[in-house]
Amino acid sequence: MTKLLWEPPFIQPHRLGEINKFGRMKARDNYVEHVFGVPVALLKEEFGSPCFVTSEIHFRNNLRNLKKAFERRYGDVIHGWSYKTNYISAMCNIAHQEGCYAEVVSAFEYEKARKLGVPGKKIIFNGPNKGKDILERAINDGAHIHLDHLDELNLVSKIASRLNKIVEVSLRLNFDTGFTEPWSRFGFNIESGQARQATRLLAASKNLKLSGLHSHIGTFILEPKAYIQQVRIMCKFMREIEASHDIEIDTIDIGGGLPSKNALQSIYLPPEQVIPPLSEYADAICNTLIEETNYRNQLKRKKPTLIFESGRAAVDDTQALIVSVVGNKRLPDGKRAAILDAGTNLLFTAYWYNHQVQMTRPADGPLADTALYGPLCMNIDVVRSSIQLPPLEYGDTLVINPVGAYNNTQWMQFIEYRPNVVLVHEDNTYSVIREREDLEVMCQQDRLPEHLKIAFSTTEAKK
Amino acid sequence: MTKKSKLKLGNGNRCERLHALAISETGFIFDPQTGQSFTVNQTGLFVLNGFKKGKDSETVSHDLADACSVPIELAQSSVEAFILQLERYL
Ligand SMILES: Cc1ncc(COP(=O)(O)O)c(C=O)c1O
Repeated sequence: MTKLLWEPPFIQPHRLGEINKFGRMKARDNYVEHVFGVPVALLKEEFGSPCFVTSEIHFRNNLRNLKKAFERRYGDVIHGWSYKTNYISAMCNIAHQEGCYAEVVSAFEYEKARKLGVPGKKIIFNGPNKGKDILERAINDGAHIHLDHLDELNLVSKIASRLNKIVEVSLRLNFDTGFTEPWSRFGFNIESGQARQATRLLAASKNLKLSGLHSHIGTFILEPKAYIQQVRIMCKFMREIEASHDIEIDTIDIGGGLPSKNALQSIYLPPEQVIPPLSEYADAICNTLIEETNYRNQLKRKKPTLIFESGRAAVDDTQALIVSVVGNKRLPDGKRAAILDAGTNLLFTAYWYNHQVQMTRPADGPLADTALYGPLCMNIDVVRSSIQLPPLEYGDTLVINPVGAYNNTQWMQFIEYRPNVVLVHEDNTYSVIREREDLEVMCQQDRLPEHLKIAFSTTEAKK
Repeated sequence: MTKKSKLKLGNGNRCERLHALAISETGFIFDPQTGQSFTVNQTGLFVLNGFKKGKDSETVSHDLADACSVPIELAQSSVEAFILQLERYL
């Protein structure tokens, strides 16, 4: 008699609409044994579970394709690597080796870029909270400062005056493209006249010189036409202020927002079917910019340099997360559930993506609706609320991807140690690019006042 | 009534209900009385078929423990939990 595979006996009623296209199909062949060419088992053994695995060649290729798409169509293009998307040092340096500037939004990110050896002239300094000291450093370094609000404008002006410098700045703009929810809390609004007011102040300033315009219309933008509108509105504003003030705009920075091949929870169709190809975005952006700046040819003026700050489109699909099953459950409604050793502490993006989850061995049972939970003691720690998976066993290894954007920055130091991040090099060798945390790391910022140095007195401890 | 007494399926009605169920080899179950359909996993199917053959829960638990090479206590407690589920639905 063939052995029956152990699983507690279970009966589950069918609900209307629940029987789906997967039926009771077996998924024996839907598994992966390698990530980025390296055996999963080897990575798990050497670096533990969970473990992020990143591909250098993938990242380089994405960066090159992005740059090429814009350069071929427009010419003078700069890619600012959005540090917040993934600022592990090795990742930043791959981007810089590929010619990217650093796009930073805080003192920490600014200092990190400088520490990595990025010259100030190749730093784009965005963000709503640039303190006095870091602004002074950025001014001295010759970084590109993108002004976010009037108080910042005044602060930069004061520092520049004290240092007796003329500082070139860009204005961050916000406006309604009609396609995306306007990110109106960042920068100066065009419709309300704020942007005009700031321009007037800059035109009158002795120490500040407006030379660039910037906006970021949102993230994961599925409609290339949104960028057409963005570029049109920015260029119209540029012509207006150039006509009414002694201002010349040298750079147009369109921010980021290009989508990655990930599955948004709100969208039913798979990413391949909903995400337009890069060429459509590049056509939309570059053709509009060429059209809108043609007038400069007649004036024999240089066209503005195009800056883009793509984050997720460059890095999301360059990283996977190896995880392990640490427990199985049946929920009261009969649904299967598994607990993983990684949850939203490491996968912040699980809150809005349905990440792909793959087995690493052939399935030995039919697919069933399964919930995947993380290890945190929080009800919202859900990696997937519903995914068709075969029966999972304790210790099973799963591969979750793509996870390369925003997780290595937004991960939480909550309850669990953060794990190793491994980079697979171009020659298929690999190394750790961020060590897993340990108790020492977790406690190194703690300070114990003298009277709290001892948790239990020696006599009490013996009890 | 305790779980144990029901486990023995002394309740004639329930026995009839079980016999009336259409059970496929893959674990698809149809209850003609209510029109409700269910899925059971392979071990659930094993247990149900045991009951249909008239075995009591003790015997079925032993058979299940043997078939899956798991400790009898695990099989017994799981069969008890399974019967609680059956009582909810049938
Ligand atoms: C100013 C700015 N630039 C670039 C980015 C990167 O965006 P994405 O990852 O959507 O390309 C962001 C993300 O929030 C941003 O705020």
